[in-house]
Amino acid sequence: MSMEENIKEGLVKNFSFLENKIQVQRPRRLLLDVDLERFEEVFEYLTKGLKFGHLIAITGLDEQDKLSFIYHMAQDGGIMINIKTSVPKDNFAIKTISGRFPSAEVYERELVDLLGAKVEGLPEGSRYPLVDDWPKGQFPLRKDWKTK
Amino acid sequence: MAIKAVKKILTWARIKSPWIIHFNTGACNACDIEIIAALTPRYDLERFGVLLKGTPRHADVLVCSGPVTKEVEPRLKRIYEQMVEPKFVIAVGTCACTGGVFSGCYNIKGGIDTVIPVSAYIPGCPVSPKAIIDGTVKLLVSLEEKK
Amino acid sequence: MSDKNKFKIPIGPQHPALKEPESFSVALKGEKILGVDIRLGYNHRGVEKACEERTYIQDMYLVERVCGICSHSHSTCFVQAVEEIAGLQVPRRALYIRTLVSELERIHSHLLWLGVAGHEIGFDTLLMYTWRDREVVMDILAELTGNRVNYGMNTIGGVRRDINPDQIKKVLKGMDILEERTKYYIEVASKETTVIKRLLGVGILSHEDALRLDAVGPTARASNVNRDVRRDDPYAAYSEVSFNVITDDHNDIYGRTLVRVKELMEAYKIVRQVLKDMPDGPITVKAPRKIPAGEATSRYEAPRGEDMHYVKSNGTEKPERVKIRAPTLANIQAVKHMLKDRFLADMPIVIAAIDPCFSCTDRLISINDLDRTKSEIVTWEGLRDYSIKWYKEKGIDFSKVEI
Repeated sequence: MSMEENIKEGLVKNFSFLENKIQVQRPRRLLLDVDLERFEEVFEYLTKGLKFGHLIAITGLDEQDKLSFIYHMAQDGGIMINIKTSVPKDNFAIKTISGRFPSAEVYERELVDLLGAKVEGLPEGSRYPLVDDWPKGQFPLRKDWKTK
Repeated sequence: MAIKAVKKILTWARIKSPWIIHFNTGACNACDIEIIAALTPRYDLERFGVLLKGTPRHADVLVCSGPVTKEVEPRLKRIYEQMVEPKFVIAVGTCACTGGVFSGCYNIKGGIDTVIPVSAYIPGCPVSPKAIIDGTVKLLVSLEEKK
Repeated sequence: MSDKNKFKIPIGPQHPALKEPESFSVALKGEKILGVDIRLGYNHRGVEKACEERTYIQDMYLVERVCGICSHSHSTCFVQAVEEIAGLQVPRRALYIRTLVSELERIHSHLLWLGVAGHEIGFDTLLMYTWRDREVVMDILAELTGNRVNYGMNTIGGVRRDINPDQIKKVLKGMDILEERTKYYIEVASKETTVIKRLLGVGILSHEDALRLDAVGPTARASNVNRDVRRDDPYAAYSEVSFNVITDDHNDIYGRTLVRVKELMEAYKIVRQVLKDMPDGPITVKAPRKIPAGEATSRYEAPRGEDMHYVKSNGTEKPERVKIRAPTLANIQAVKHMLKDRFLADMPIVIAAIDPCFSCTDRLISINDLDRTKSEIVTWEGLRDYSIKWYKEKGIDFSKVEI
């Protein structure tokens, strides 16, 4: 069995609710969909237990009534897992992972600025990447936001 | 008569040794490295007396590359205002001329001329060092004609 | 410590040496840096949004212009993701040509870095030398692709230009010249005492910190992090060529310099192999105008480190979402860490040592509220001059170096 299948099986064994939520996209690429409530434990297991210790980026998506976040994590051997989680659009926050992954700080700021996501526990600091006097409530990466 | 002579000397000096300052207004770096390449041995813009300076107060020519981003716009104005008269602006690259591929992006104002007056446009993506030399020399020649 | 003893210096956003706008706010105590606040965003153009508004083919040219130094990196990374979604089988010859251009780009980028690093430490002779030699590879790139930078080589399903035997000869000749020169640079970088004095032990990033801060590229590899996408997650023709991943355990700028010059030698090796083994055949397959719905992530080892693109399609001719993570952004936290408790005079070279590319990153660094009574505005050039003088007083003088 390939490494990817191994990882998939191991995950399902530990977290039964993940069955049918894991997809091997191609060799060295896994896609995982997890609910926000269970995100933390799964993320903990993947980063510590399975050594997906290299955070590549966090992608934010606007999917109509919800915002989705994809955490791109990699293992040293080259296998990459994309962990996806979603929140309803208004007033739901995700927790910062910048405590464990300091490099996440900029990625999370980007989510706040461009997508209007709420990130709990993000350290104080200057905004990124928009200008300081950018109008409030305008999020360029939202689908309903049009370039004027 | 004396003033005329002084003016003549000033123009002569300006043409023989224009000092430039380079400012990236949001470019992708391609034009910027080509500007540096124009100053290094293969192309050697310095043979026309061109000297790259670090501060706008010493410079005669502002060489801009890239479309103007919203964040950089006030800075560009400030740098332009810090330069002493007479001053010239060269827009290097298609983006600096018109906004190029980035026109229409939300954080982009457009070409350099949407913010400050431009004396010479050098299009290209990126501009080759040869074109930069050609553009600079053309600007210098136009100064000579004006005197 | 109270805020009163701190001295804050804003640097930038205009500075000629790094060629890009960014702004650092440095808190100092005497000569020591207490902390750095980096304000990014001067170069933010909104490329990701623009990608959603244009077609895939237009996006190819747009992402290529995310960064003018690693243009082929971004376009290849993007096109790989699109091809994965569309399920296209790219001809092998096209993959080989992509690999060739990507290594030529690494050569030009590393030579460029070596020159910039030389400039930052006051060793302008090195700048002039490396940039002169860099023209050799620029000529090759212009010959193969038709442009010196922003090659426009890729298209969805392959590459746009083939390569002929005449060009192969020219490339090989160029590689011979550059290999000779690089041997000399390795000599300069590793044995010249002035260089060693200036770089050894500066900008320390320990192995643990490099892992913790997710550093990428030569910055991480100089801290003995054995990570290289080309080997770990091979793309294009990298699974078919042999090369060494260069690591170093100096953990400092000296190590980063060595990693880069040695990587140059590996790049020559790869170029030669690619040219020798280049298969015959078509260079492109027909790609549909509309890309079926799906999503893909693509990784690519750019000269500065790992580049990642995420593309999501919705079945139309325009992508639903394009996410670009350029290598410099991943290294920002590492720079902050490297600068802390170091001397102000080391700042230019520490920042230059990650080979920053802020146009990639913003697609970036501002000045916070400062203690007006005690602040000073420094341009990058000013800081560079200060650092050169500071080291000169300590006996490190590049004008005395015989080269």
